[in-house]
Amino acid sequence: MITPAVSSLPAVQGLAAENLGVFGRDPWWLIIVKAIFCFAFAMLTVLFSIVWERKVVAWMQLRIGPNRHGPWGMLQSLADGVKLMLKEDLVVKGADKVVYILAPIVATIPAFMAFAVIPFGPANNEISIFGTRTPMQLTDLPVGVLYILAVASVGIYGVVLAGWSSGSTYPLLGGLRSTAQMISYEIAMGISFAAVFLYSHSMSTSQIVATQHDKWYVVLLPVSFIVYIVSMVGETNRAPFDLPEAEGELVGGFNTEYSSIKFALFMLAEYVNMVTVSAIATTLFLGGWRAPWPITAFWAGANHGWWPLLWITIKIQLLLFFFIWLRGTLPRMRYDQFMKLGWKVLIPVSMVWLMLVATVRALRNENYDFQRIVLYVGGGVLALLLLSLVVDVFRDRGRREPAESGAPGDRFDPMAGGFPVPPRPGQTLPPVPRRRPRGERQLVNATDTAETADKEQEGDNA
Amino acid sequence: MTETTVGIGGAAEGTDMVLNIGPQHPSTHGVLRLRLILDGERISHAEPVIGYMHRGAEKLFEARDYRQIIMLANRHDWLSAFSNELGVVIAVERMLGMEVPERAVWTRTLLAELNRVLNHLMFLGSYPLELGGITPVFYAFREREELQNILEEVSGGRMHYMFNRVGGLKEDLPNGWLGRAREAVADVRSRMDVFDRLVLGNEIFRGRTRGVGVLTPQTVHAYGVSGPIARASGVDFDLRRDEPYLAYGELQDTLNVATRTEGDCLARFECLLEQTHNSLDLADACLDRIAELPPGPINQRLPKVLKAPEGHTYAWTENPLGINGYYLVSKGDKTPYRLKLRSASYNNIQALTELLPGTLVADMVAILGSMFFVVGDIDK
Amino acid sequence: MDVTPQPQLLPEPRRLGTLARLAPEPMKVVLNWGRRYSLWVFNFGLACCAIEFIAASMARHDFIRLGVIPFAPGPRQADLMIVSGTVTDKMAPAVKRLYEQMPEPKYVISFGACSNCGGPYWDSYSVTKGVDQIIPVDVYVPGCPPRPEALLQGILKLQEKIARESLGERYADGSGAAGGNGAGPHPSPAALTSALVTPPPAPAADAGPADASAPGEGGR
Repeated sequence: MITPAVSSLPAVQGLAAENLGVFGRDPWWLIIVKAIFCFAFAMLTVLFSIVWERKVVAWMQLRIGPNRHGPWGMLQSLADGVKLMLKEDLVVKGADKVVYILAPIVATIPAFMAFAVIPFGPANNEISIFGTRTPMQLTDLPVGVLYILAVASVGIYGVVLAGWSSGSTYPLLGGLRSTAQMISYEIAMGISFAAVFLYSHSMSTSQIVATQHDKWYVVLLPVSFIVYIVSMVGETNRAPFDLPEAEGELVGGFNTEYSSIKFALFMLAEYVNMVTVSAIATTLFLGGWRAPWPITAFWAGANHGWWPLLWITIKIQLLLFFFIWLRGTLPRMRYDQFMKLGWKVLIPVSMVWLMLVATVRALRNENYDFQRIVLYVGGGVLALLLLSLVVDVFRDRGRREPAESGAPGDRFDPMAGGFPVPPRPGQTLPPVPRRRPRGERQLVNATDTAETADKEQEGDNA
Repeated sequence: MTETTVGIGGAAEGTDMVLNIGPQHPSTHGVLRLRLILDGERISHAEPVIGYMHRGAEKLFEARDYRQIIMLANRHDWLSAFSNELGVVIAVERMLGMEVPERAVWTRTLLAELNRVLNHLMFLGSYPLELGGITPVFYAFREREELQNILEEVSGGRMHYMFNRVGGLKEDLPNGWLGRAREAVADVRSRMDVFDRLVLGNEIFRGRTRGVGVLTPQTVHAYGVSGPIARASGVDFDLRRDEPYLAYGELQDTLNVATRTEGDCLARFECLLEQTHNSLDLADACLDRIAELPPGPINQRLPKVLKAPEGHTYAWTENPLGINGYYLVSKGDKTPYRLKLRSASYNNIQALTELLPGTLVADMVAILGSMFFVVGDIDK
Repeated sequence: MDVTPQPQLLPEPRRLGTLARLAPEPMKVVLNWGRRYSLWVFNFGLACCAIEFIAASMARHDFIRLGVIPFAPGPRQADLMIVSGTVTDKMAPAVKRLYEQMPEPKYVISFGACSNCGGPYWDSYSVTKGVDQIIPVDVYVPGCPPRPEALLQGILKLQEKIARESLGERYADGSGAAGGNGAGPHPSPAALTSALVTPPPAPAADAGPADASAPGEGGR
């Protein structure tokens, strides 16, 4: 309720307050059931997405992926789990033991916690569980999205601590990278959320979904969506931004020294984070539990009862596929480029975009004609694009020029003299016409002539 | 500034970190060790520590007769086995004054070019992998399998062909092989756009390689760098053109020496790619020519005991990775008195000392990958 | 022949065995089933064979479908080490050390003639004639280099072996810290050396690695 736009729309605010009243009235057993459901949903999605990732990446690479375990290799991730549980649990000698053991736990638990505020269905008590009517959401807060941001940032402590406590160089570098990455991308992420708040007049997740009933925010706020998508990949340390665990550079990054269950926890945390950020993206931009429009057009019941669960699952899975797709397609970015992208592109762009959105909202509140607003905003965006393009072109040229001037123009002929050793750079080459014109060369005595040439040279040197 | 010593490869010891570049990492880099002194993520000093793959090939050459040497020679650079064999047999043939049948010359040229394609495909695939793109290597290996099938049909080997003999080749090409080879070459060529566009056109790939690890022509000369790496720095030198061996003298109109002037990682990759295309063209030209050749012997009859006359010679060939030279000294025995091996990667890798300082750890991976070396070729 | 200075022996992972030993038989089957098809492989690619190892992981041969996942970033997460290529004396300490960094239960496939016994470098001054001199090997894959299909066969053999074994037995007798060559608990050093101590009456051929392999494989 901090956005200025809200104050001018008391009706909406009232609505929000009313809707949130639904939460927190469940009996204790229902809360437990819901909590378990959230946990199970995350776990199942993770198990599935690991298999799914292996399969999809395999198809992209002309392979078939694991197929020994269960039908279609579905149980591969289960087998991995069993095996990791049975592995020897190493504690590295140089490690800070308490932190070393704590780190994977710190990384994992917050990843699950964000699920508490993800709405799986409408907030008006549509479903009944054992006779109790309840919303399809564990709970909601007036500051639900802030809660998500806060919890997600705690998770990164696990990574940082793991890197630090392992007591070796690569994990340390990985952990440090991860911190920097987190800091840079939280900002862009937060700003992209702010645009959503301006439209939804609320930070509660159920309210944000409720306000997307006619248009999803991905249509209204495409720039925010793109910024969020980029920063969510950065936040989850996934390719092409998987710098903290870059295999080629840092071996395994922060989890290099972890084995067995602790490693399993890190892996779990990574995938749960993926599911979480996908769920947030769905909630904030993709209409949450709402059915996509062609379905709602001919089926009014699509958004009621238990069906929303299906839609939100499908949307999360599509986003997970997007993650996997990225991994199968793109090489890793370099660390400094990645930072540059965060600070010099994402944050400025989302700031400007936020101002635009705020302007539009303000103008609408002042009852300006919508078409003129579109004109202003469109013109502004175009001008900005143009400017950035021009800047980009100039920057590139400026960088290229010295490189070109540095390149030597004349062709260096290493074969011109001094048979065994090519002449040193700067050494003037005596005009020894060693090369014969090509016309004289023939196949049959090619080896012979070469040999004689060699002999000559040897003779010269001797 | 704190001094941190980081070992790359499983080869570090003592107080260094014993860590390997990832396991799915092509092993070409598995056992090269780099001593890096880091300042944050920036490298202030780099020193390649080699010798972890030293198998004593040069000494073993002295204990093998000329036919057995071929078998060891093709193993030092396992990605260009055929070209390695070639150098040895050329050297021995020269010592013997032996003339190779025309059919063998053309077939050797063909197989050498196919081998070059195989080698380059490995690097075209593994380089994106080192930069974090896991997919292209699978496509590279699809093409490799195709060409390996062709070569296996001829020689029986997937990697180490052992097909060269002093005085020619082991045996003639199988029936109908030319058609199948042509088909395979056409197939591979038709799918090379994966690398032309998907890899080379990728913005992140270009961003990570452009202007990174610039190797100057001066450094190239100072360190004796050769092959596509040298040509990417503008040193336009290719033995196939400048001192033709085999049938390259007659392929001058097909042979196109790929050069760049930038000298960065991208230029090296582009050179490699262009050279792959050119090698496919050369292979086609060879196939055309072999089809026209009249039937004839493909090798010379050799005496039971093959002895090179007393003397010495130096045979060098343009291997896929650069100049590969054999300095053969014979005292007239069954075995060489000394067979000095000048391998391409050994010289190429020395330039890392100049290339790496001042770059980031992330760039180190890009530079290392773009130096296209085989550890066995470094350590012999 | 031990090329390294004696390392300090670490305590054996006892708690690992007890879980599996106390588990009822059906449970053991399930656990082995899990371990069998989840072999995260750590490729110790050293030479030519590594290229064939990579070829085996690529689309045509694709051992990933067997549950052999080659994406373990380091030794700490790996279950299976495939030593592919020539192990040199300079490299041997690193091989051993990396093997020791892997958590139990761990398996080793020796891939190719060089790591089996030295291969074509049998008379080289700098080559370790067989990686089984420094670490215990579960499966030997012959060839120079072996075809990728051979590696697939080797992996299947290893999976059969894992399915048969019991973790409890694996660690029950090996508790008396692994003797001289520090080869982990499973091949008792006595089994490895006894064949050498009492040579057969026939003129003893170069029996080192070939003999050592037999108890190494059968004894576990």
